[in-house]
Amino acid sequence: MIHIHELTKIYHMGDVEVRALDGVSMDIAKGEFLGIMGASGSGKTTLLHMLGLLDDPTSGEITIEGNDIIHLTDYEKTMFRLYKLGYVFQDYALVPDLTVMENVSLTAMLRKDRTEQEIIESSHEVLKKVGLFERRDHLPRELSGGQQQRVSIARAVVNKPDILFADEPCANLDSENSRMVLELFKEINEEFQQTVVMVSHEDWHTEYFHRIIRLRDGKIISDGFNGNTKKPHGPGAA
Amino acid sequence: MGKKELKVAFLLALRSLQRGSRSSVILTVLIVAMCFTNMVFLPGLFNSIGQVITKQVVDYEVGDVLVSPKSGEQYVTDLDATLDLINSMPGVERATPHYSKAATLKYHQRIVGVTARAITPNDEKLISPLYSKMVAGSYLGDSDTGEVIIAKMIAGDPAIKEEYEFQASLGGVRVGDSITIEWANGYTKDYRVKGIYSTGWWSADTTVYVTKTDMEQVEGKTLDYADYITVRAKPGYSQKFIKDELQQYGVAAKVQTTQDLLEKSMGRALQSYAIINMVSLIVGIIITTVVLFIVITIKTLNSRKQIGILKAIGVDKEVIMHNYGFQVIILALLGISCGVIMTCILMVYMAYNPIVTPDWSASLYLTPMDLLSNSLILFTAAVIAGYVPAYQVSREDIQSAMRS
Repeated sequence: MIHIHELTKIYHMGDVEVRALDGVSMDIAKGEFLGIMGASGSGKTTLLHMLGLLDDPTSGEITIEGNDIIHLTDYEKTMFRLYKLGYVFQDYALVPDLTVMENVSLTAMLRKDRTEQEIIESSHEVLKKVGLFERRDHLPRELSGGQQQRVSIARAVVNKPDILFADEPCANLDSENSRMVLELFKEINEEFQQTVVMVSHEDWHTEYFHRIIRLRDGKIISDGFNGNTKKPHGPGAA
Repeated sequence: MGKKELKVAFLLALRSLQRGSRSSVILTVLIVAMCFTNMVFLPGLFNSIGQVITKQVVDYEVGDVLVSPKSGEQYVTDLDATLDLINSMPGVERATPHYSKAATLKYHQRIVGVTARAITPNDEKLISPLYSKMVAGSYLGDSDTGEVIIAKMIAGDPAIKEEYEFQASLGGVRVGDSITIEWANGYTKDYRVKGIYSTGWWSADTTVYVTKTDMEQVEGKTLDYADYITVRAKPGYSQKFIKDELQQYGVAAKVQTTQDLLEKSMGRALQSYAIINMVSLIVGIIITTVVLFIVITIKTLNSRKQIGILKAIGVDKEVIMHNYGFQVIILALLGISCGVIMTCILMVYMAYNPIVTPDWSASLYLTPMDLLSNSLILFTAAVIAGYVPAYQVSREDIQSAMRS
């Protein structure tokens, strides 16, 4: 589903050249729950941003479902993100002036293939799934951190994207809320066969991942399947 | 940019204003409203002054059209024939001659120099509202002799000492009192004050009116000439029409409309008013533009991360730009609406409490078209001011925006 070949990202900080990613190559199968792990500065968020079309690599290739996403125009990338991808950010990144319902339905409202009724129904459905249907008219500031992150997940999955990206979604949560969020990802992954790519540095999160890639200094140092979890279908399972 | 995108942009804008900083919204709306009021206040005041002066000039000086002596001549001659000709023309309400002479008024120990104007009172009624401005006594009749009407300002107030007077007066003349008029040619006679008037127009309020019959006594001959003839047009006839008609009919004198005269006499003043109006307009536009530019720039700078997030989740940059654009449109519409309301309140207030000077009393004169055109100018400036930072921030790279 996702093919990455010799992906390199170099940042220039004054005269210093920083190789955030250094020739990363891998494939991610459809339906995989992939954990990208590593210490701070290892390049995991950079990799996630490249995969999520939020940043351009210095060199290398990324294809998603056969589409060369690096060479898409700005507008095509936006539409790709809208129709194919979902994002969950570390700090929830909800629009503070919109209610829970408005936040969740925002991207659905932009899709040309959704009627108003479908938007309402799908938003209600995901809000029920994350347990926040009763709080749909509240503003983000009226919710706890865990609840906000669940709204963020609901927003990411409302369009039933092919791939869900999560950048340290539990970083600001206590262990109870973290587990709730991870359970949600697991359910989404299993129920809808959505590919989930999650960045984390918490070792105990590994119990939820099918496959774990560890990075150090922009390079993959290990890539393996987790024996405790159900393995996904596709090439990665080979 | 489809309907769905615009709907989302509008939703984001509306919610940002509804649920964002209320004080910021109120302050911005107030500033736009004040700018609008500032833009229209001076032009409205000058319009009103212009209207009042024009009306006073028409009412008390020259009528709609002035027939004055030809170049090199002192008087309009062959008066009766000329008046008959003018009065017979279609569109002419009435024509009446004015003949003025310098005079000195004496009453007890007071002496005041004035211009005395000879009129034909009944004809004058069709030209000037002077007859309706009597504050004491009554207006002159055509057959009156030995009687004058004088301005309240000339009659004076006995309660005000001479040294404190703004304008020299006779110190409290009342209707029925006798005053002595010493004319420029040396003729002196006592006249009974028949009435006292007040017009609010300086020139009329420093004049004494006598009948033509009395002036003929002063001159010692029949007056078949006049300083000028004032002509009033019937409703529906323009000054220009009357002027052209008089010239076509071969009136042997110089014919000018009030507009011609005002353009000559007040051309400089009108130009100055136009400059002040322009400065006021430009200042209003600049202040509004700068304020809205700053407000939207601050909003976008404070929301850079959110803008990055919105782009990341698939919201197009056009939606983000129009979100801020709609915010400016809403702020500008609210501000302009408040400005129109404030201006209307000011118009009503000033109608009851005009600015009064010896020459004119002015309020705010603004037509719906004035309000509409200024609203459109301010709205356009506001939208440009808001869209510039919105355009800039919507083009920003996702990574830079999200890192901020």
